[in-house]
Amino acid sequence: MSGTPQSLQAQPLAVTNNAVVITHEDIDRAHDRVRVSAARAQHGFFPWARLLWLLVGPGVLVMLGENDGPSMLSYAATGAKFGIGFFLPFVALTFCIAIVVQEMTVRLGAATHRGHAELIFERFGPFWGWFSMIDLGIGNFLTLITEFIAIRAGAGFFGVPPWAAILIALIILYSALISHRYWTWERVTLAAAVFNLIFVPVALLTHPDWHAVGHSLTTWRPLPEFSKDTLLIVLADIGATVTPWMLFFQQSATVDKGLTTRDIRFGRFDTALGATLAALAAGATILATTPLLSHQMSTENFQAAEFAQALEPLIGRFGASLFALGMVEAGIVAAITISTSSAYAFGEVAHKPHSLNLPMGQGKSFYSVLTLCAVAAACIVLTPGLPLVYVVLLVNVVAVLAMPPALVFLFMLVNDKEVMGDLVSPLWANVLSTGVVLLLTAAGVLFGISVIAPNVFAVLGGR
Amino acid sequence: MTKKEQLPPAVSDAEQSLVLASLEHDQLVKAKKHSIPRRHLKGFELVVLWALRLYLLFMMAVVGYQIVVATR
Repeated sequence: MSGTPQSLQAQPLAVTNNAVVITHEDIDRAHDRVRVSAARAQHGFFPWARLLWLLVGPGVLVMLGENDGPSMLSYAATGAKFGIGFFLPFVALTFCIAIVVQEMTVRLGAATHRGHAELIFERFGPFWGWFSMIDLGIGNFLTLITEFIAIRAGAGFFGVPPWAAILIALIILYSALISHRYWTWERVTLAAAVFNLIFVPVALLTHPDWHAVGHSLTTWRPLPEFSKDTLLIVLADIGATVTPWMLFFQQSATVDKGLTTRDIRFGRFDTALGATLAALAAGATILATTPLLSHQMSTENFQAAEFAQALEPLIGRFGASLFALGMVEAGIVAAITISTSSAYAFGEVAHKPHSLNLPMGQGKSFYSVLTLCAVAAACIVLTPGLPLVYVVLLVNVVAVLAMPPALVFLFMLVNDKEVMGDLVSPLWANVLSTGVVLLLTAAGVLFGISVIAPNVFAVLGGR
Repeated sequence: MTKKEQLPPAVSDAEQSLVLASLEHDQLVKAKKHSIPRRHLKGFELVVLWALRLYLLFMMAVVGYQIVVATR
């Protein structure tokens, strides 16, 4: 039955008084797996569709979760500042990169039934484990702050006071948890995540030039000028699709959902589906704000509400409201998934119970970390006078910078024969992931040069 | 871990059968208490990990510098 490598199967079942020790978490997960087995036992399209429905989740959630507040602001700034030209196909490419990276976490989770933080700690030791946890902790907390900024700004468009917007977001986050069932949490969050596609009707309201869209997708032109601003937006767009929390979240969610090696094919489909939906929403956001470029509107330091207000004369109150609502939704879904990612990682490292199937009594530390992360970030956003605008602008850049070390751990784990058995990465996947690490590192180095020695770009013919 | 947490929860025979029939052995929570054997990193791997660690520290300093410049 098990597809897990022999080295990891060597341990016997935990037994007390000749009885297998079974937890509440095991029972809930078993109920989910019974439905999967029942669907798998049948043939035909409908059982297959049901199996797909049962197995999708972590991939769609991670991709739409990453279409978060700062990501949507990056896409909006991209459209307003550069139009679609180079960036529409570029963003599609970044989602292809995300599929390559996230697929590895599906395989790791299904093969080992362990979370990403747990594997790094156990396989490489606490020294390297703590480094990756510090990267994750700082990145997650900064990103969480930006989610609440997006929620506050988006809700501000409707005149909702900041404290009320933040409180509503925290209530929604908590409501997703109260069932104490992974399945229910996943479906509730998925339902919220699908609202990310609200940016599609916003784009349609701007009456896009489809000929220009086709030209952009096929030629990647017009190319942007080589400058510090272009580099910053390129980095922000990369950081809007691949970030360390995604690795930790999808692997832990794959384990919590109970996926096995038999489900990897569906896990890949789930990841690709999520990437397609997220790319659609991202592309729509770029398209939606492109008219601001032709109106030569300065969008420097624009937040969610300002973008919605700037779009209002072009797409009406209804369209602008959808845009602001989309920002609120992006922030809420990401706040849910990112705080969950932190809680999973904490539980894995601290050897505390970590599952969304845990009743409150057994999962106190898990739910406390999840809630405290969100509440602390929310409180920071409500603190007057903090220079939060810089956090929003740089959080995606920080994510790109932290990604190469995280990817190297992932790369080493997914090529570890003792951990993965026959599921180690094939050569083509290794070539692609090495290319991704080099690309991200090079982008980071270029960003560093642009900050330290901005005149270098002028020498190279840029600005 | 408290004494209460150490006690196995009351599980019916039906639930036990369900769990054993539906989950892979290493999916059980208790089975995950066993650690995966540690792997010792080789020279090249350590060089790459340290290089990336230094890269990240340096780049974070660059980000901090940019924030300071922007807030002036």
